[in-house]
Amino acid sequence: MDPMDAIKVTFFQECDEQLGELEAGLMALEEGTGDRETVNAVFRAVHSVKGGAGAFGFEDLVKFSHTFETVLDLMRSDKLAIEPDVLHVMLRASDVLADLVHAARDGGTVDQDRCAALMEELEHLALGDSAAPAPAPVAAVTSAPASPDAEPEPDEWGFVPLRISIDDVPLLDEPAAPASDEEIWKVTFTPRPALYAKGSDATILLRELAILGECDVAVDDSLVPSLDAMDVNASYLSWTCFLNSDKDEAAIREIFEFVEGDCDLIVERIVVSTPAPITAPMPVIEPIAPPPVAIVAPAPTAKPTAAPPRAAPAASKAAPAAAASGDGEGKAAANATIRVDLERVDRLIDLVGELVINQAMLAQRVAETGVVRSSNVAMGLDELEQLTRELQDSVMAIRAQPVKSVFQRMPRLVREIATATNKQVRLVMDGEGTEVDKTVIERLSDPITHMLRNAVDHGLETTQERIDAGKAAEGTIRLAALHRSGRIVIEVSDDGRGINRERVKAKAIEKGLIAADLNMTDEEIDNIIFLPGFSTASAISDISGRGVGMDVVKRSIQALGGRISINSNPGKGSTFTLSLPLTLAVLDGMVVSAAEQTLIAPLTTIIETLQPKPGEVRRLGPNRTVIAVRDAFVPLVDVGVALGFRKESAQPDSGVVLLVESEGGGRAALLVDDIQGQRQVVIKSLEANYQRVEGVAAATILGDGRVALILDVDGLIAQRVSETRAETQLAKAG
Amino acid sequence: MPAASSIRVLVVDDQLTMRALVRSALQQIGFTDVNEAPDGEEGLKALVAKGAHLVISDYNMPKMDGLDFLRAIRSHEPTKKTAFIMLTGRSDKELVQRAIQFGVNNYLTKPFTTVSLKQKIEAVFGALT
Repeated sequence: MDPMDAIKVTFFQECDEQLGELEAGLMALEEGTGDRETVNAVFRAVHSVKGGAGAFGFEDLVKFSHTFETVLDLMRSDKLAIEPDVLHVMLRASDVLADLVHAARDGGTVDQDRCAALMEELEHLALGDSAAPAPAPVAAVTSAPASPDAEPEPDEWGFVPLRISIDDVPLLDEPAAPASDEEIWKVTFTPRPALYAKGSDATILLRELAILGECDVAVDDSLVPSLDAMDVNASYLSWTCFLNSDKDEAAIREIFEFVEGDCDLIVERIVVSTPAPITAPMPVIEPIAPPPVAIVAPAPTAKPTAAPPRAAPAASKAAPAAAASGDGEGKAAANATIRVDLERVDRLIDLVGELVINQAMLAQRVAETGVVRSSNVAMGLDELEQLTRELQDSVMAIRAQPVKSVFQRMPRLVREIATATNKQVRLVMDGEGTEVDKTVIERLSDPITHMLRNAVDHGLETTQERIDAGKAAEGTIRLAALHRSGRIVIEVSDDGRGINRERVKAKAIEKGLIAADLNMTDEEIDNIIFLPGFSTASAISDISGRGVGMDVVKRSIQALGGRISINSNPGKGSTFTLSLPLTLAVLDGMVVSAAEQTLIAPLTTIIETLQPKPGEVRRLGPNRTVIAVRDAFVPLVDVGVALGFRKESAQPDSGVVLLVESEGGGRAALLVDDIQGQRQVVIKSLEANYQRVEGVAAATILGDGRVALILDVDGLIAQRVSETRAETQLAKAG
Repeated sequence: MPAASSIRVLVVDDQLTMRALVRSALQQIGFTDVNEAPDGEEGLKALVAKGAHLVISDYNMPKMDGLDFLRAIRSHEPTKKTAFIMLTGRSDKELVQRAIQFGVNNYLTKPFTTVSLKQKIEAVFGALT
């Protein structure tokens, strides 16, 4: 790779970091949790993007970031107040900046109008408070090169380079024993008005300070106002001094002892002149998170594994300190972490999976030999099982990641939809640190995106409607993640209008999704929105009407072994709750047998198991049966028949029924021959090893080495539930 | 006429990109002894530990900015004479003036070219071989 190309890769990686910091900083300011350093960090982020962009000649990016930087500079110097309106513009500007960066990287185009509009808004901000136009970036200035050895000429700023001879600069190749225990102290001294009022003299104090050692004093007069605005009693000056002294901090502070309460004094030690041999700090490692990717951007083309240029041969000589400047830029330094290839972790997880199976096999074999449970062998095996479980949990924890990587893309999304729908929306996020398996995280993004779109577009009323209803003009959307009983729960709630049940039901009847005379509970009506082909929006809007509805969200959640539910309160808002397994690698299952096959039913889907009595099962036509469970009829599916293991349905009263709940809340009963027990199983993809089979979600290997299929409960019953719904009503009536 | 290869340079910038760009330009000019640090604090440590004839430092850095870094270098006897070139923006006239006050040897505005970097270094040390 061309060295410049390698640097460019680094640049875009750094840009992603900067953009993340920019957005996080702006949001912190918006929430009021930011401080001066946040403003500085935000400024630096844009400044850095501009600097790199200039070096690579990304003109659009330079132009935009320059204007953005100008506004941020005003904020930094307190000439522009940190107000919600200003921050809104800046947040949107950060989105445009991200687009420009990605366009520069991937060669795409950006929405020119949007870019120009934001630029104008930024310029307006720049002008609004300072009345000085943002200085356009000056075209490259290349001063006429004077002969290198001629005496330096002053440049356009009156600067004359300071000449020195290379021989005058001593090198510290061998940092010989230092002459003394000299140290550099940075003393920042800011007198308060009271200091002068009491007749103290700052210059005397500074002179005393200079006695302690060589002292370089600089005055900061930036706060001095024009003469007519000057308050004679105020204090405008502050001093920073770099003191080279062998005295300690107490000696420095002693000088200011008598003015202690009347000034702000900061004494910092900067460098110790007796350097211990500096050893390279531990390389800094970030949490194994993917680089943040803006929601609209295509996947980054730059491989994260591409060797950064610091690996160039010359870097081997780099100052030890440079080692601390890894990708994490020292931020994560507090946590000792290492970067590991994901492949290795996956391999480890695979191996542990095999170990779990092996352990189960061993336990089964031993049990078959008739060893007593209290024997040493059996007890040793129990311990082994315990350890294997712990090992598995620990390994899974390696791949766990905070949901932050998904959550952090959402503020922008909400901003954009809010702008497009002309609504005022505040997104509150909670539980970003909640951890879940990487494979689950990757597949969370789409459902969350869709739910948020829906919440803003359909859930929230227009600003006027909100005001008329006596609500705050700004709608609030809450996105939260939490762990609940071994699963991760994602909640998206809004304080909008809630589900209009009348309208939903009318629409569903009109579309033929439900029977007109069907008696439905509120919950059942709410769940209609998950039915395929349902959409209440009168006009297909640009935002959520992209041809996919909540049914798609639901299906993708179910594919992950998850559930989705809705809780709506008319006039108050709705809450969508997603519940997902923490991992896609293991599953708690009920081991059952049907037609001499061993099968696994995911435990989470099973509500109860029961032994049917002859009178409870009723036939509806040749192939359909329902079973009476207390006061309701639920469709009965013979698993053996459904999967094609046998043609004739078994006698229901000779088997066991698993009462299961489908994701839509519909119930069904699965008829199996027997229940063998409950077990955690390692999921092996059937598609990857064989092919997709209807009604089968995956496979696993049992203790005895046989393959067992894991039932796709929803797949098995989905068809039956919808077919039988009407029939159930009939059966009830009869 | 100092040889570029005999000059030890320390590049200080919080941006990996900028450090890589400066390093790459320096290598094109003929410098071989180039070290890096991510901010003023680390820069000082590196300077004290290994020394350098020339520091090329950004201004805008977290922890310790370029000006404080320059002042710290000038306040410390062993590093006092180290040549210092500050990387600045196009419109940082005020910054340059403050840097003059603290004894900066030269400044270089971003974006820079290899040629302009060479000129700036030669203006401090004389023509390079």
